[in-house]
Amino acid sequence: MAHQVTVAEEQYVFRPETKRKLFILLAVGVVLLVLGLFMAMRSSGHDEHGGGHAVKAAEQLVASADASAASEGHEAGGHAETATWLKRLYTTLWMNNVFFAGLGIIGLFFITIQYAAQAGWSAGVKRVPLAMASWIPIAGILMLVLWFLTHHDIFHWTHSSLYAEGADFDPIINKKAPFFFWPLAGGTFPIFFIARMVIFFGVWYWFLLQIRKNMLAEDIHAGTSYWHKNQVLSTVFLIFFGVSSSVAAWDWVMSIDTHWFSTMFGWYVFASWWVTGLATITLIVASLKSAGYLKIVNSNHLHDLGKFIFAFSIFWTYIWFSQFMLIYYANIPEETVYFIERIKNSPYSWIFYTNLILNFVLPFLLLMTRDAKRQLSTLKLVTPIIIVGHWFDFYNMVTPGVMQHEGGLGFMEIGVALIFMAVFLLVVLTSLSKVPLIGKNHPMLEESLHHHI
Amino acid sequence: MQVSSSIRDPLITGGKTVKDVSHDISRHVENKPANLWYLAMAISVSLLAYGLYCVWMVLWNGIGMWGLNKTVGWAWDITNFVWWVGIGHAGTLISAILLLFRQKWRMSINRAAEAMTIFAVICAASFPLIHMGRLWLGFYWALPLPNAFGSLWVNFNSPLLWDVFAISTYFTVSLVFWYIGLIPDFAVIRDRAVVQGNNLRAAIYNALSFGWQGGAKTWMRYESVALILAGLSTPLVLSVHTIVSMDFATSVIPGWHTTIFPPYFVAGAIFSGFAMVLTLLIVTRRVFKLEDYITIYHIELMNIIIIVTGSIVGIAYITELFIAWYSGVEYEGYAFYNRVSGPYAWAYWSMMTCNVISPQLFWVKKIRTSIVATFVLSIVVNIGMWFERFVIIVTSLHRDYVPSSWTMFHPTMYDIGEYLFTFGLFFTAFFLFAKFFPVINMAEVKSIVKSSSEKTNQDASH
Amino acid sequence: MDADKNFIVGVFDDEEVLLTGIEKVRGNGVKIHEVYSPFPVHGIDDALGYKRSRLPIAAFLFGMTGTSIALTMQIWMLGYDWPMIIGGKNFASLPPFIPVTFELTVLLSALGMVGTFFIVSDMKPYKWPRQFDIRSTDDKHIMAIDLAKNQSIDKTVLGKILKDAGASEVNEKNFE
Repeated sequence: MAHQVTVAEEQYVFRPETKRKLFILLAVGVVLLVLGLFMAMRSSGHDEHGGGHAVKAAEQLVASADASAASEGHEAGGHAETATWLKRLYTTLWMNNVFFAGLGIIGLFFITIQYAAQAGWSAGVKRVPLAMASWIPIAGILMLVLWFLTHHDIFHWTHSSLYAEGADFDPIINKKAPFFFWPLAGGTFPIFFIARMVIFFGVWYWFLLQIRKNMLAEDIHAGTSYWHKNQVLSTVFLIFFGVSSSVAAWDWVMSIDTHWFSTMFGWYVFASWWVTGLATITLIVASLKSAGYLKIVNSNHLHDLGKFIFAFSIFWTYIWFSQFMLIYYANIPEETVYFIERIKNSPYSWIFYTNLILNFVLPFLLLMTRDAKRQLSTLKLVTPIIIVGHWFDFYNMVTPGVMQHEGGLGFMEIGVALIFMAVFLLVVLTSLSKVPLIGKNHPMLEESLHHHI
Repeated sequence: MQVSSSIRDPLITGGKTVKDVSHDISRHVENKPANLWYLAMAISVSLLAYGLYCVWMVLWNGIGMWGLNKTVGWAWDITNFVWWVGIGHAGTLISAILLLFRQKWRMSINRAAEAMTIFAVICAASFPLIHMGRLWLGFYWALPLPNAFGSLWVNFNSPLLWDVFAISTYFTVSLVFWYIGLIPDFAVIRDRAVVQGNNLRAAIYNALSFGWQGGAKTWMRYESVALILAGLSTPLVLSVHTIVSMDFATSVIPGWHTTIFPPYFVAGAIFSGFAMVLTLLIVTRRVFKLEDYITIYHIELMNIIIIVTGSIVGIAYITELFIAWYSGVEYEGYAFYNRVSGPYAWAYWSMMTCNVISPQLFWVKKIRTSIVATFVLSIVVNIGMWFERFVIIVTSLHRDYVPSSWTMFHPTMYDIGEYLFTFGLFFTAFFLFAKFFPVINMAEVKSIVKSSSEKTNQDASH
Repeated sequence: MDADKNFIVGVFDDEEVLLTGIEKVRGNGVKIHEVYSPFPVHGIDDALGYKRSRLPIAAFLFGMTGTSIALTMQIWMLGYDWPMIIGGKNFASLPPFIPVTFELTVLLSALGMVGTFFIVSDMKPYKWPRQFDIRSTDDKHIMAIDLAKNQSIDKTVLGKILKDAGASEVNEKNFE
């Protein structure tokens, strides 16, 4: 049979130049953030004209369809204690954290799905998503801290006045109270919500630690037992993930628009995370390859990653279209309000359409041919487009619900995104440099070396 | 060079060679069928004949022969339609999506699964066609032709019209895909007929094979065609049940209008399709002695797909229930309360038991590698999936916005008769297929004999 | 000597021997007419120096044709020829047209590509293939070499090259 191919051991070196570049990126982010904050503080309160009309138009539309549905009104007027610039900062912090948390979670999800499906081709690239997953604990801590910092501005349902008799009482949100506050009464402390957040991150992290431990033990001791152990762990993780990913999407994103609901939403967020995660894995693999690492990864493996991105860009579009079309077609005011907010207001409206171009049209056309998927250059072109595109996707999921017509996209948002990106890469690359870049005893490695499509 | 990791289980057992593959699979086409086959055929054809009588009565007297009423305007017909379309998803899934994912185990089962798909889609299509009442005017209502009073066109905004396009495209493309796969195998039978001196059979199978020769250039183009057809069929499979789900989800009926329907219907379709593939293949492998090609390992892998899709469907059920409560919409809330505890609660709980709970038994390796358990559970799953559609359709309709019109649905013998008609049609077609066509894709299996059979794996592990 | 009439035929039992065999035969300057196999052999197109099939381009063009037909048809029929308000939407609103557009794209792409495949491969139901060896659909790989195109090499030398390349049998095949 096949002659044994010896695999040179590789170790990623996180060089000072790379580190310096990332710190420069971080600094640029901080400068942009400060600049953005400064500008937003100065102009706050003056720029209500542009968006105001659109919101009115949207509200009229809703009102004409069904008067009873326009009960979102009190959100805009009720509690304006926090300055607009600060709300903007909170929004972008929360949104970026949800986005980057997804990259970490998808790192783990990618590995587990490879184990569960007995995939052979990916044996050489698994250490990259493993490193990405090291972001999970940081994302979890940030999520918890940010929640306590920002919840009154981001989550409308945290206001206790909604649950008490009075002018602000909201019968719909009051009904939802157990989902957030159980076993306590509505408007107190959302113990159920917080417990879910802690449990999800805790369990994900636990699985990461177990799977990583087995992967690293396999490097030293060889044998197929670690692979089998990880397969079992992965299967259990995937069951947990199937439920937790949807609930997490309801908790962290959908409940921002507290009145609105969509059964698809959990899978929509997952689809967006998943394709972004795939793009990030591919981008890191492609960059490592350009830097001379990952010698065993050739154009066949890149082809597979490219196919994954291509296919799941279409999958995301499918989920997007299904959700949008059904709400558009049935035209029920409680549901359409979500899209009206996003189509009629600036800057959400241009992002709404740009989203489809960046996340569907461009990846579809650029990755359609076989050659495009096999070349580093095209992959390095398409993956950043997708990552930026889905960042916009999350922007549009989170911001309109918090900021209404006051939302902005400027230095502040870009600055925070750059800070997150720099820190994320610092953590991920540090983690990558600490373990061998290739699992030399992976039982599928031989198959992966001979992979040819 | 293909390399298979030593931790993979063999896909072909019994130390088969390439020559054995031709022989084992072609001989059923060449030999006279067994008595069991005649018996099965007789039962199917009599079922079909009785069904045809019921169809005739409905066409002659109108669809008042069914148990539909003013409140429940869709019941068994659409339930059966969706059920059959769902079953018709596994074949193309196996041949297209599993091809793209390079799952080699699909090679032993794709031929029969695709045949099943095609017959299931024909069965499915019969329900909306008969529901038209005047079947002979169907083309005129469903195709973009101007009407007699001017150029009033069909309504492209209607999901029912999307269905026409989706089902006919799916049928056509699946048929083409299946046929493309059959071409090299027809040539095998032709050449064996030449050797055996059966000129008639050689001529027939040569015509069927389009004069296939198997040159490297043709194989190259052929593989390219297969890959692109797979690439086209993958979104096509998803689109078909998506569009079927939109028949319901675009409406404003509580219980029907929910955004998760498209992917959830697709998952359910794959779930029921795999169950039907298992039901058929467990019998086929036994009758045709194909245990070395359709191994326990194949059955186990299919059962794993059933766990996965069954669990996805389970998550979707729970999501629906949760959002019905979370939304705070009282109609939505009532629709689900009525499902769980109303007069059709027995259907809902049958669905839950069959679809969500019973597949979880497959987590036990003993059960998922047991032929008997798999056979029983595969039928249970399809009963459950029938109830799912019944629950969605009838339970959502029978208590509408006007309580004075609340009623129940009672099927007549013609509702039942048409369901039997499709069973007759399906099994007649399947038995004919099993007799006259090679039930396993020989060319594909031959290509993995070397890398994935038991014998070579032992060689590799020394 | 007429082209396409007289052939020397090498029979190979194993696909890996075949692949190295093709390289050896071609390395000796022999022009291979074609290799017939019972199943697609991975990498044989590279070994024989065939260019990648252009059928994907055909599929794309047919698909685009389907997209254009579908969109034109729907927008013209419901937007211009007989406009109707349906569900309070615009006359020609795009989202409900997507499903039919998608289906027709796939339909035309698939049928067009398969039709092209039959035409370029010269496959028709009433054609009886010219068989170099009846076992080529069973378990043997058959390498056919046109003698007319390899006149510089002697027949016996050709036979020896084939044998050295791993052929288990070498036969002659003449078509009238």
